[in-house]
Amino acid sequence: MIWLTWRQFRTQALVGAVLLAVVAAALLATAPGLFDRYHDSGFAGCATGCAQLAQAFTDDVLRGATKTFYRVGVAVLFLLPALVGVFWGAPLVARELEAGTHRLVWSQTITRSRWLIVKLTGVGLAVILLTGLISLLVTWWSGPIDEAQGDRITPLLFAARGVVPLGHAALAFVIGVLTGLIARRAVLAMGITLLLVAAVQIAVPTLIRPLLASPVSSTAAFDPERIDGISISNDSVMRVSLQPPVAGAWVLSNRTVDARGDEFRGPADRTKCGREGSPEVCEGWLQAQNLRQEASYVPPGQFWSLQWRELGVLAALTVLIAMFSFWWLRRRTT
Amino acid sequence: MTSAVSTSGLTKRYGRRTALRDCTLDLPAGHVVGLVGPNGAGKSTLLQLTCGLLAPTDGTIAVLGGPPANGSARIGFVAQDTPVYVGLTVAEHLRMGAHLNPAWDRQLAESRIADLGLDPGQKAGRLSGGQRAQLALTMAVAKHPELLLLDEPVAALDPLARREFLQGLMEFAADQGVSVIMSSHLVADLERVCDYLVVLVGSRVRMTGEVDELLGTHHRLTGARRAEVPAGPGVEVVYASHTDVQSSLIVRSSAPIDDPAWTADPVDLEDMVLAYLTEAGRPGRERTLESHR
Repeated sequence: MIWLTWRQFRTQALVGAVLLAVVAAALLATAPGLFDRYHDSGFAGCATGCAQLAQAFTDDVLRGATKTFYRVGVAVLFLLPALVGVFWGAPLVARELEAGTHRLVWSQTITRSRWLIVKLTGVGLAVILLTGLISLLVTWWSGPIDEAQGDRITPLLFAARGVVPLGHAALAFVIGVLTGLIARRAVLAMGITLLLVAAVQIAVPTLIRPLLASPVSSTAAFDPERIDGISISNDSVMRVSLQPPVAGAWVLSNRTVDARGDEFRGPADRTKCGREGSPEVCEGWLQAQNLRQEASYVPPGQFWSLQWRELGVLAALTVLIAMFSFWWLRRRTT
Repeated sequence: MTSAVSTSGLTKRYGRRTALRDCTLDLPAGHVVGLVGPNGAGKSTLLQLTCGLLAPTDGTIAVLGGPPANGSARIGFVAQDTPVYVGLTVAEHLRMGAHLNPAWDRQLAESRIADLGLDPGQKAGRLSGGQRAQLALTMAVAKHPELLLLDEPVAALDPLARREFLQGLMEFAADQGVSVIMSSHLVADLERVCDYLVVLVGSRVRMTGEVDELLGTHHRLTGARRAEVPAGPGVEVVYASHTDVQSSLIVRSSAPIDDPAWTADPVDLEDMVLAYLTEAGRPGRERTLESHR
């Protein structure tokens, strides 16, 4: 069965190997230059003035090809679960059911459960190997930039670093397999899998990850130095946003509230903050309004604990879906 | 070993549709059993219940003395449309068979492929329908089953390929002494190879028995129109047709018919089966038939 699994999977495996080789070649080729500049910038192992050195370093490296590779690295890891689910997971069983070859292979001396175990394990290991190696490469290569920006806990990077991509890819794979098992048509299963994986990629950072993190709440007095943006509408409704309390944190909420604790909405004093006023006058007026910043955020230091927790949840979902697939195969598939 | 397959009240429903209804059968081992009936009569369902691909809704089934099990080494199954992996070569199919079956007979498989003149390097997707069916049969026989099930194996084949396939099947059955159950909607296919017959119509078993015995107990009677239909213990009119001047009957009777009003002739297998299939298509007659039993 291992031989048959390999024989049926080898073309797809080859595509995965090519993807891995391309990513590895691009990152390994550019890594020496990136790491040289990291060490030469003075940011590596800095003791004082690290913020300025970090800024100077990122300004220096995030240009041209390096900037492209940095972004492509993130994009590859966000797309990988969908690719794995659609092209490796969905056809795995659906193609057999569609062509009727399940009747051929189940007529050999092998139970259908064992048949699925070998297929799931074999291709599943390939999923983990491919995603693991790509995530390892991307996380390592992006290390200096992530260190300088300190923002890898934010949703735009979190699922493209560390161990979480493994969980997303494995979950997408079993979602594809189960969809194929139920839909029994490869192309239909691929389409549904794409939608489901996209839904998971949206639901996890918005609904599940906040439950896994331990957000920090902070209340600070209004500080004009930290103003991030001000908007005033025609009917004098005014909104003020302040910079998050910790740079690079994953901000869950960030509100500027008045003395009663309600979100500050003006009304703006047009003589100070309108056309007649000036930024300085307006800031002075705002300071007199007795405002506070109430924020809830996940500090960058929680990155690894949050990574392992999310991996745990995704792995548990993967196991549940795999078990349901076996149930469906035994009870509902003919 | 007495029964290859024995069922009692076996029923399979898909939602509201009943594919097989209250099927009670006892198929002795060592026969080539033909399962005949029109499309949708439940032949595939019965075969898939036998090899464990389907689970019954109701009733019981024992195969080779035990419950049917998918992936059993004792049962070989060639599914309808003889599925093969289009991307795998003939040789890779044999390799798969060797990997997946402990009792795989490599020599038998390879010599069959050589005798058929199949190129081992050929992709299965490029084989003709007949070659595909032969490959699927080779896969099923090389695992050395005690019971071989074939679901409409020759339905898609041209007459020559049909003959070759059935020839190969007969040789194998004779050599290995295995029990074979083979379905078809064409009696002519079964006539050449089968010595036992099951007729399925409208999800029910209509008739079952050894071919020789069936042929010996069925008679074609011709006589003047409206001549009195012969009756008596063990006499059953299977089929009747009337023209203006004469009536023609197919009758099942263990004793010879010696009624001077009728001329008795032997029937061939096709006529006999067609009589059952035609009669079953007339809802009014069905009740009469049942009461004759």
